[in-house]
Amino acid sequence: MNALAAIGEILVLLGTFFYFLSALGLIRMPDVYNRMQTSTKSATLGSLGVLVGVGIWALGTDFGSIPWLTKTIVIAVFLLLTNPISAHALIRAAYKSGIPLWEGSVVDKYREHLEAKEREEVEAPEAPEETPAEEGGEE
Amino acid sequence: MLKRALAIILLLIVGYWLAQGLAGVPFGQDKMLVGQYYLDNVKQQTGAVNAVTAVVVNYRGFDTLGEVTVLFIASTGVGALLWRKKKKRTAKTEGSIVLTTGTRLLVPFVMLFGAYIFIHGHLTPGGGFPGGATIATAFLLLYLAFITYEIPHKGFEKTEGLAGMGYVIVGLIGLSIGGYFLFDWIWQTWNFGTENVGRLLSGGFIPIIYTIIGLKVGTELSGIIDNMLKEEVSE
Repeated sequence: MNALAAIGEILVLLGTFFYFLSALGLIRMPDVYNRMQTSTKSATLGSLGVLVGVGIWALGTDFGSIPWLTKTIVIAVFLLLTNPISAHALIRAAYKSGIPLWEGSVVDKYREHLEAKEREEVEAPEAPEETPAEEGGEE
Repeated sequence: MLKRALAIILLLIVGYWLAQGLAGVPFGQDKMLVGQYYLDNVKQQTGAVNAVTAVVVNYRGFDTLGEVTVLFIASTGVGALLWRKKKKRTAKTEGSIVLTTGTRLLVPFVMLFGAYIFIHGHLTPGGGFPGGATIATAFLLLYLAFITYEIPHKGFEKTEGLAGMGYVIVGLIGLSIGGYFLFDWIWQTWNFGTENVGRLLSGGFIPIIYTIIGLKVGTELSGIIDNMLKEEVSE
């Protein structure tokens, strides 16, 4: 066993640990938003660790080659780009379909923003068409 | 309640019956009759490294032609069922900017990957159907992220029909050269690519047919998505 294989094994171990944390967060957290927060972040990081770790691990063995690492890095970049977008879409859809925040939450700026916009529209009906403000994460 | 209990009992009986039937079948033993022939001869006879695609396109090409026909009928059937004079997209709310930007960025890569899958059908797992489904996924992404997106219908339906005809034409060329339908003329008659089995330019007509099937499946599934995401507009 050489250094590359050892590094790969450590990365895979780290990745699976973060997978475990992600699954734990899914059970442990109180509401949808907290659950999404814990599970998506650690699952993304875990996948990156496992994928890149497998590539490096294979390099250290006798059947491994550079294409292994290339493929795993391509998959890792794809996951890194797509996972946050899907998490964003899920959370936004959850908020828009009216799922309440955890009762311990103290501030909801997005609701305030929406209400302010509604009030503005009531006061000035013929307002010049404002660009629909895009509020990103409500995390 | 009684209905549900009866259904569960019936399912248990059927499951037990199937399990009894399968209990005598040995798994993990070498019981191949035709399969051994395929594995022994696939490289010399078809030039494909992937035995599955060789069987699907070369040895049993009629099945694939039938599958493509089934898909075509499904697409036509959906189109006929949902046929209305004036149709429009129903999405009212714009997706968030993260979603649209991400889609804009991802769609070319998804399409590229779909093309990769169906071009490398004779070398790697996959083939025309997964590649076409991946391409249709790219169009589904466009449909879901943008409220006004619509596939270019004229080109799409023509591509679909031309791809279906292309498959039959490749088969008919085989009929005129080799004597039977779907005869692999590129491999058997031209000996094209015999020296580089395992590389891209080999595999006889498998890459060509899979490109045709990939285009056909991609356009067909996109057409089904398009039909299902539209609603009638009242005038």
